[in-house]
Amino acid sequence: MSGLKESLQTFHKIASSPKEQLKKYLAQDKKVVLCAPVYTPEEIVHAMGMIPMGTWGADVEIKEAKTYFPAFICSVMQSILELGIRGEFAGASAIIIPSLCDSLKCLGENWKSSVENIPFIPMVYPQNRKADFGKAFTKAGYERVIADLEKATGQSFYDAKLTASIATYNEHNAVMRQLSDCLNDYPEVTAADRNAIFQSAFYMEKSEHTTLVKDLIGELTKAEKTANQKIKIVTTGILVDAADLLKILDDNDMQIVADNVASESRQYQVDAKPAETGLDSLAGKFADMDNCSVLFNVDKAIAEHTVDLVAKYQAKGVIFVMTKFCDPEEFDYVMIKKVCEEKNIPLLLVEIDRQMTNYEQVRTAVETFREILR
Amino acid sequence: MSNEVKKKSPPDPNSAKFKLGKIATDAYVDAQAAKDRGEMVGWCSSNFPVEIPETLGLAVCYPENQAAGIAARGGGERLCNISEDDGYSNDICAYARINLAYAKIKDTPEQNMPEPDFLLCCNNICNCMIKWYENLAKDLNIPMIIIDIPFNPDYEVSDAQVAYVKAQFMEAIKQLEELTGKKWTEEKFKEVMEYSGRTSRAWLAATSEAKHTPSPFNGFDLLNHMAVMVTARGKKEAAEAMEVLHKEYLENVETGNSTFRAEEKHRIMFEGIACWPYLRATSTGLKSRGINMVTTIYADAFGFIYDDFDGMVKAYCNVPNAMNLEHARDKRVKLIKDNHVEGLLVHTNRSCKLWSGFMAEMSRQISEECDIPHVAFDGDQADPRNFSEAQYETRVQGLTEIMESKKGGC
Ligand code: SF4
Ligand code: SF4
Repeated sequence: MSGLKESLQTFHKIASSPKEQLKKYLAQDKKVVLCAPVYTPEEIVHAMGMIPMGTWGADVEIKEAKTYFPAFICSVMQSILELGIRGEFAGASAIIIPSLCDSLKCLGENWKSSVENIPFIPMVYPQNRKADFGKAFTKAGYERVIADLEKATGQSFYDAKLTASIATYNEHNAVMRQLSDCLNDYPEVTAADRNAIFQSAFYMEKSEHTTLVKDLIGELTKAEKTANQKIKIVTTGILVDAADLLKILDDNDMQIVADNVASESRQYQVDAKPAETGLDSLAGKFADMDNCSVLFNVDKAIAEHTVDLVAKYQAKGVIFVMTKFCDPEEFDYVMIKKVCEEKNIPLLLVEIDRQMTNYEQVRTAVETFREILR
Repeated sequence: MSNEVKKKSPPDPNSAKFKLGKIATDAYVDAQAAKDRGEMVGWCSSNFPVEIPETLGLAVCYPENQAAGIAARGGGERLCNISEDDGYSNDICAYARINLAYAKIKDTPEQNMPEPDFLLCCNNICNCMIKWYENLAKDLNIPMIIIDIPFNPDYEVSDAQVAYVKAQFMEAIKQLEELTGKKWTEEKFKEVMEYSGRTSRAWLAATSEAKHTPSPFNGFDLLNHMAVMVTARGKKEAAEAMEVLHKEYLENVETGNSTFRAEEKHRIMFEGIACWPYLRATSTGLKSRGINMVTTIYADAFGFIYDDFDGMVKAYCNVPNAMNLEHARDKRVKLIKDNHVEGLLVHTNRSCKLWSGFMAEMSRQISEECDIPHVAFDGDQADPRNFSEAQYETRVQGLTEIMESKKGGC
């Protein structure tokens, strides 16, 4: 049992100190490339011998970024820019920003004039991503990222190395899926713990993270299964990492048995399949990505996916964690709500942003929701 | 000093204003007539290549145009509320909220349009459009044809982007032919392309007459006429009406007249979509201070001039909201310099994340390069709850004072 505790503590430590991780890698003479959300081609950075480091912002006060973004842009974008301007990413070689939503497009444009010494590398993804012409465009986008990375870092790209990195990432995907399933049998692992495991993945070289997660799974399977009295829920949204929110879920005996959260399981749904080249394989992976508010899907598959998760994991309800001002999610919420209503699945909408300090309303809402689910 | 042009009622049927107004109204009437004849009718996003439905002979309506009309006539808040009751956040673009509400209630006293049989979506102005049309397609259970034109982080459009977008144009044409049974012909496309070119050239020429002092027109005219540029560019009547508009502006230049009915003391550029619910308040706030809004990015944005299919594809990749900051800035700088603009008034539009998301930095760069002041006010193109007349007045007054002091008037 102590092994399990220690293992979880390691994840918490890493998840709460991205800056330390950045420093650690720099001290090892590694180059670090920041990866803004979402679907940033980390495999390419990895294949070039560098550390891709995810950044989804932080719960910081927005001051400097205010002179760039109006108040109605999501706090993920605001805080990434804020951290950049404040020099929190000092030492990073570049930032890759995909342009999958309107706010992400603006982040790149603002970054250019506000953050010194960390060049902006755009990754332009197609929305018509499944057809051959879409895949060709994705591939061209990756080629451009490679060229920019070579210029910014002096590192070189070899397709064979990419194939190896893809294998590393596929393995990590599989381990993260396995972990999410495995946790369902261990209610003592809290929502906060679960989040730390997912979050830490952004700040580590992926095979290191895979090893840690495998160890954790090993510890878990050694531990005795206890009776599960918790209320099983599915979460959906962009980001569910606010400590206060996670504590409220834990205080109310809620167990996240599955999620469709962008910073958690959403990114691990799809593996890259073998193809002629590593880049083709990666473009194919993006084409297969789905169930996401920033990826075009005329069938609104995200709604069905949500209720499927509920059925598969026998959850009692869904908590939609809305990142304030995230319009892609705001549109999808309505469709998810409709399908949940049709299927009589209780759904709670919780709106949060990174500057929120008072969670009392959220607490009350979750308490009421718990009564409904019981 | 400009003389006032007084030709109120009855409207002169030969005037550009009348002709342009008629084209805008006819669009709805024609679409309804097509629907009544049993033809399929589409809803189309504003910067979807009109050449496609026009060449195929398909009747389409423009939800953004309708939403603007509804908002200008006071229905914005009512319709927004309907969408919000369905769960849509009030952070979402008000055009989308109004249209999603209309799709549900199907009838408003302000402006109706026929129910759609298909949707034409192009996201070169925002990705919000994709989300909005996805939800429409799902709710109405109709096909959605999408042409994805990604935001271009570079100054020039890459070959890869042209190839990607062109493939989608072809795909969209094929899908529409199959869906509606109409056929694409090169001959008809050429004709549409020619009208579109003529309309665009006349528009660019007309709007560029603002280079004269005083300007022969009030820039608020552009906000009204732009609907025709967006929706009817490829029609013969549009080309003719725009040519009349240019002629009228030329005449004004010669006679010293203007549709700006006040003394033109200052000339500004307006940035953003109009606040339709407060058109009068926003325009009076300027006019009362002798400020003429002589140009907006619309003056440049709708000049779609190209010689062939590939040129058309490229033109659609180069619309304002698809351009990077530097390219977007330079276009504005040119308009400011060409038209002797003395100040920049920026509408920070709560509805439009992309348009407002890097405008602060762009405004600073423009101000610096052109040596003109800029101020911003908070507003919304269609939701009346997001505008404060008092704040607008204060900001415009602030801008006026700086412009006056720069002229040595203090
Ligand atoms: S997807 Fe949502 S949360 Fe993410 S950057 Fe865009 S608006 Fe912000
Ligand atoms: S106002 Fe902005 S967000 Fe709304 S449809 Fe137009 S471009 Fe898109």
